[in-house]
Amino acid sequence: MNAPDRLPTGLAAGRHAAASGSGTVPAVLQLHGVHKTYRLGSHVVPALRGVDLALHAGEMLALTGPSGSGKSTILNVAGLIDAPDRGEIVLRGRPAGGLSPREAALLRRDAIGFVFQSFNLVPVMTVAENVDYPLFLAGVGTAERRERVDTMLRAVGLHEHARHRPDALSGGQRQRVAIARALVKRPALVIADEPTASLDSHTADQVLDLMREQGHAHGAAFLVATHDARLLGRCDRAIALLDGVIQ
Amino acid sequence: MTKLLPWLKFACLNTLRNRRRSAVTITIAALGTAAILLAGGFALFTYQGLAQSSARSTGHLIVAKPEQFSRDEDVPLQHGLDDVAALKSKLLADDAVRQVLPKIEFSGLISNGDKSTVMMASGIEPDAEFAVKGPFLKMHTGRVLASSDTQQVMLGEGLARSLKATPGSSLTLMASTTEGALNALDVTVSGIFSTGIGDVDKRLVYTDLGTAQKLLVTQRVSSLGVFLDRMESTGPAQDRLQAALPRLTVRTWLDQAQFYRSVKELYNRIFGALGVIIGVIVVFVVTNAMAMAIIERTREIGTLRALGTLPGQLVRSFALEGLMLGGVGALAGALVALGVAGALLVFPVQMPPPPGRNTGYPLQVAMDPTLYGGTLLAMLALATVASALVARRTVNQPIVHALAHV
Repeated sequence: MNAPDRLPTGLAAGRHAAASGSGTVPAVLQLHGVHKTYRLGSHVVPALRGVDLALHAGEMLALTGPSGSGKSTILNVAGLIDAPDRGEIVLRGRPAGGLSPREAALLRRDAIGFVFQSFNLVPVMTVAENVDYPLFLAGVGTAERRERVDTMLRAVGLHEHARHRPDALSGGQRQRVAIARALVKRPALVIADEPTASLDSHTADQVLDLMREQGHAHGAAFLVATHDARLLGRCDRAIALLDGVIQ
Repeated sequence: MTKLLPWLKFACLNTLRNRRRSAVTITIAALGTAAILLAGGFALFTYQGLAQSSARSTGHLIVAKPEQFSRDEDVPLQHGLDDVAALKSKLLADDAVRQVLPKIEFSGLISNGDKSTVMMASGIEPDAEFAVKGPFLKMHTGRVLASSDTQQVMLGEGLARSLKATPGSSLTLMASTTEGALNALDVTVSGIFSTGIGDVDKRLVYTDLGTAQKLLVTQRVSSLGVFLDRMESTGPAQDRLQAALPRLTVRTWLDQAQFYRSVKELYNRIFGALGVIIGVIVVFVVTNAMAMAIIERTREIGTLRALGTLPGQLVRSFALEGLMLGGVGALAGALVALGVAGALLVFPVQMPPPPGRNTGYPLQVAMDPTLYGGTLLAMLALATVASALVARRTVNQPIVHALAHV
């Protein structure tokens, strides 16, 4: 399946028009003919078989499919934490395949945010320190970091919990911290793996609203793997995967 | 520095995650450090004591004819020094030289009339000898020799017992003269002493230089003991005096101190092996603690790497954790060692006599800055490197695997 490089603005519900200004929205991420296999003992398991995909700025794309369909593998490949066997990855218009581990790390640091199902916050850091960490890694100055963390925590409604440790927060609050951590560096792409799976429905709704709202505010593209039907309704597009192939 | 501080804080917080494990690690590092410092301090104290004792016994430098050190004598003082007064003046002209003590070493027989036994005798200048050496002999009865005494001797405790001699007893010294004839001289016992070495006390006799020369019928002396202002002057002074006296040989106390060298070699091996064993234990404990911490945090490592943390940054962070555990442990151990060393000064503990000796010695532990600095640095380095090595593999595993770790 060949994905277009440019997404019609209408598909993005008009919200990208101002950002693109040209009537089309640039592709943040493109996957071309991506293949990936895993070895389980002597068995070779094809996880992705020629996946083509394009994700545009501000767009929220849902990946659905049963377990083992290749959702997480796409997230890993798109998030540059795993390398495809074949195929091309283009991030912000530049090839991202074949990068050295260090180059990939620096690109992730700069351009990609992650939201995990289990939040994956660092327990010894406070909420503010967790959100600050990507900015610290990126070498942002102390004063600017403080301001951006403060702004981000206000945006996700956790300003008053800035000095709390993650274990003092509810699941929904922790996921909001994770979203703040993912977005604070203003990434082009946010990879979200089952972001609502560990949350009750009310909290999940809140988290989804927050992701949409903050994604729009920062112009970040979201690539979301999910089983959650509610999430599908809130995404701009949904792609179904089965046996490593987009349906 | 500002970039390192957050990593230090992170490492510090991580060490507090499992406080019991960190406490155990720190305790073992502290005990290991204290053990090394106490054992090393004891060895150093022993070396210092033996070195001073050796230097005090022979002089920092010993001046004699080359043959005195290399060949046995056919007759007493065959290789002795003549014109001692001129030599003394020449030696005393050196700024570092504080005293020059002539010495005659000879052997012979000592008799109480009923019983004769072998003696090892030293002829000395008593006043200068005891003034320079201080209380190096333990007097049991009587008094020490004085330079004004003539034909008097001090006997070792075992020899006095063998001859049933007490202060005031009359004895006879017999020895070969420098011509090879047998000579005898009546002497009076002034005092009975102990060197602390039983075998020596069974043979040793001290007399004044004049009495020894009269017995041996000579004006020669065996050697001159040169006492310097401080131990550190030994090497340079040896060079200067050797250059000034090219026909003689100038040796250091260390050249003559076989016992000191043997003890030092033995202790170096024993305490060196002990240090290595303790170091290995500390490394294993730190490694084990860090390995458990790293396994527990594998998923977090994956998360941090996904966020863009470089493997080197994470290895550094774990190395800092090891550094903190090892550092706190080493500092605590150093404090314990200082406390014990200080307590031994306030509350003396007497050690039993070593093999071959009949007097004990006070247990003391040297507080040597070099030993403390070196041990602390070694502990820090071991803990840091061990942590970094343990972390390296997990940190460099594929991020996907780390994130999937349960």
